[in-house]
This record gives sequence, C-alpha cells and structure tokens, in this order.
Amino acid sequence: MNTKRDTIDLLLQVAFLEGKITTHGLYEQTVLKRKPLVRSADAVKAALSQRLEAALLSNRSKATSPLTLGAFLRRLREHQSLRPQDVISRTGISSNIYKMLEHDRISPLKISLKSWKAMRQFFQIPLDALEDMIRRTHQLVFFRASFRTTLARYDTRKNKKMKAATLEKAAEELFVRATLPLPQKEQEKLNAFLKALAEEKA
Amino acid sequence: MARFSNQQIVRELKEGDRLGCRHLVDLYQERLLGEATRVFRVPRLDAEELVSDVLLAVINKINTFEFKRSDGDFHYWLMTIFRNRVRDFMRHRAQTDGLWENFDEAALEDDETYSATEREVVRSILRNYEESLGSPEENEGSAKSSARGALEVIAEVLDQLETWERVLLRCRALEIPYEDIARYTGKTAKQLKVYHARVKKKFLNLLGRQTPKVQ
Repeated sequence: MNTKRDTIDLLLQVAFLEGKITTHGLYEQTVLKRKPLVRSADAVKAALSQRLEAALLSNRSKATSPLTLGAFLRRLREHQSLRPQDVISRTGISSNIYKMLEHDRISPLKISLKSWKAMRQFFQIPLDALEDMIRRTHQLVFFRASFRTTLARYDTRKNKKMKAATLEKAAEELFVRATLPLPQKEQEKLNAFLKALAEEKA
Repeated sequence: MARFSNQQIVRELKEGDRLGCRHLVDLYQERLLGEATRVFRVPRLDAEELVSDVLLAVINKINTFEFKRSDGDFHYWLMTIFRNRVRDFMRHRAQTDGLWENFDEAALEDDETYSATEREVVRSILRNYEESLGSPEENEGSAKSSARGALEVIAEVLDQLETWERVLLRCRALEIPYEDIARYTGKTAKQLKVYHARVKKKFLNLLGRQTPKVQ
C-alpha cells in the first residue's frame, strides 16, 4: 500500500503526537486490526525477547530483595538453560573467575571492563541494573570477612558444612538488611569503575 | 500464528514468566515496527530501537498497569507508550535534522493544487514547532509546552471544518482506511477518497487565513 502522503499529513501527525488533535481511539483500533506489513527476522525477535526477559528478571529480583551479581548471573544463566561453559566460551572470562563471580567470591572491580562489556552484550543486562549489582556485590565482598568474624562468635554448630551454610545464609540476610557505607577510598574506587563502565559503549 | 490475549500476556509478565516476553514480542513487535516505519516514517533501524524501548517500558511498568474495562485496555496503554516514544523521536528529529527529513516534501512541491503561499504556511508552522523545541541540550520543560503552543493553530483551524471533514483529515494522516472512517462520517469510502484532496485544500486555505504573517 503506497498512498500519497505530503507535508500536511506530517503536520497533522505532529499535532496528533503532541496531543493537539485526537482520533478518539480510532487509530489504536486500526492498529489492532491491521496486519503487520513489516517482517522482522527471527534472530531480531529472539534477541529482543532475551533483552525483555533479562529486564523482567531484573525487575522481579529488585522487587523481592537486593540482588548480588552472583545470584543474578546464576539465575539468568539457569533461566536461559545455559551451562557455565557456554558463558565462558562466549565472553572470554576464565572459568575460575566466572565461577567465583557466580558465587560472589570476587569483587566485580577485579574483572576487566572488556570482560564486562562482553557479559553485558551476552546477557543483555541493562546498565543501571548492572551498576546497582556491582555496587552491592563489591560491598558484600568487601564486608564479608568482617561478617564472618562477627557471625562466627554466635555460631555454635559443630558440623563444618552446616556451620558454613549457616554463616553464608546469615551473611546474606545481614547484607540485605544492612546499610553499608564503604570507606572513602573504596567508594572512590567503586565510583571510578562505574564511571568507566558507563563510558564503555556496549 | 497463535493468538494470545492481552490478559494472558499481562498475567505472565506480572508473574515473571518469560513466556510473557515472547508473547509480547510475537503480538506487538512487527505491528509497532510497521506503524513506526510506515505511518510515522521512522527509519528502520531507529524504529527497531524505538519498538524495543516501548516493549522494555512495558516490562518495567507492568506492575503499575491494571485492567479497568476490557482486554483492550492493555493495547491502549501500550499504544500510549508507543505514541510518546514516537513523539520524542519526532522532537529529536525536529531539533537535529529537521522534520522534512525522510518525508515526502516533494509531493507538496510538485502538487499544483497547492499554491506557493499555502506551502509556505505549512512550512512556517513546522519551522515554528522546530524552533520552539530549541536545541537538544535545552529541550526540557517550557520548550515542550511552547512546542505544543506552536501547533495550537492546527486544532483551531480543524474546529472550523465540518465534523466529517475533521475526522477525515485526522484519520487519513494516520493511514486509517477510508472504509473505517466511513463508518463514523456517514459518507461512503468512495466519496471520502474523492473529497480528501478537496478537504486538504480547504484546510490549507483556512490555515493561511489564520496565519496572516506568512505571505
């Protein structure tokens, strides 16, 4: 369908978009009835679905509890039925580092910006969500040692495995509830990293 | 292609079910892409980005959405987001390349039914709109309301037309089929097709009288 259009139509369209004129819902009804005339490649649709899924997951996690990078990456990977090797081979991150990352055993600041760029592209993670998680995970890693020392004083379990699990759970709960101001030097390091990450185009 | 109800999509998205994302893409991605590229002349790559922004906004705001009347509520809600994104794109284009970019200005130039003065009237309104938006750096707040003010004259002139003429002009600018417009105007689709050019001419005439500075 190639109808003749001119600048008057443009003028009316702009007025419609700016809310100066209305079609009283007729345009919206037409859109619903019209068959889409543009086709999109399956790969484009799949990539968009993946991006939306990541956003959905990130929103859901935000609504329930603050999420660390490890928990987020693990959930996202399992959601997409991927193995750690799949991520490793696609992002170029070493296997050990990736495993530590998934378990929040390493500060995200130790991972290069290049690797983060690859991760963002691979998982389609929105920058603001990533920044939040980096901030939280860095805090968690930084404060974990002091959590452990504190919590150990209260833990009386003899079984090593049970003790570790209890400590881990307690540390996570404490982290979720706590406000954790980083020392100035650490905060500056974190801010500089986040700034560089934002400047790095995905 | 399987059809999904809007109710189903909203339920899935609110529950965090990723199937909801696929259904949303299946139902709306090509449809919105078609509207953006065909009706609003957004270049294909920009349109793809725009549509993905719209669907992302849907995901991000889904918890604020509630059905009030029918299954169609979701469609109207999504179309409002779409319309706002297209408006933002148009504003940006007005501030950078100018609005005629990608639009068929030549159609107006070549058309002997429009006089040079009439053409200039249209241009001056669009120029006012572009200027009122200011530069991309200073586009917040008052600039946007003055942009809307620059278009005030269009609504005023449309009010001077008969109802069916007004409906015809507004709807055809958005490529609503003549058959659909006919149901609201009491005229046949064939009549509307014939009258469309004449009504445009009448609209331009009135517009010229309303904006006397352009001569």
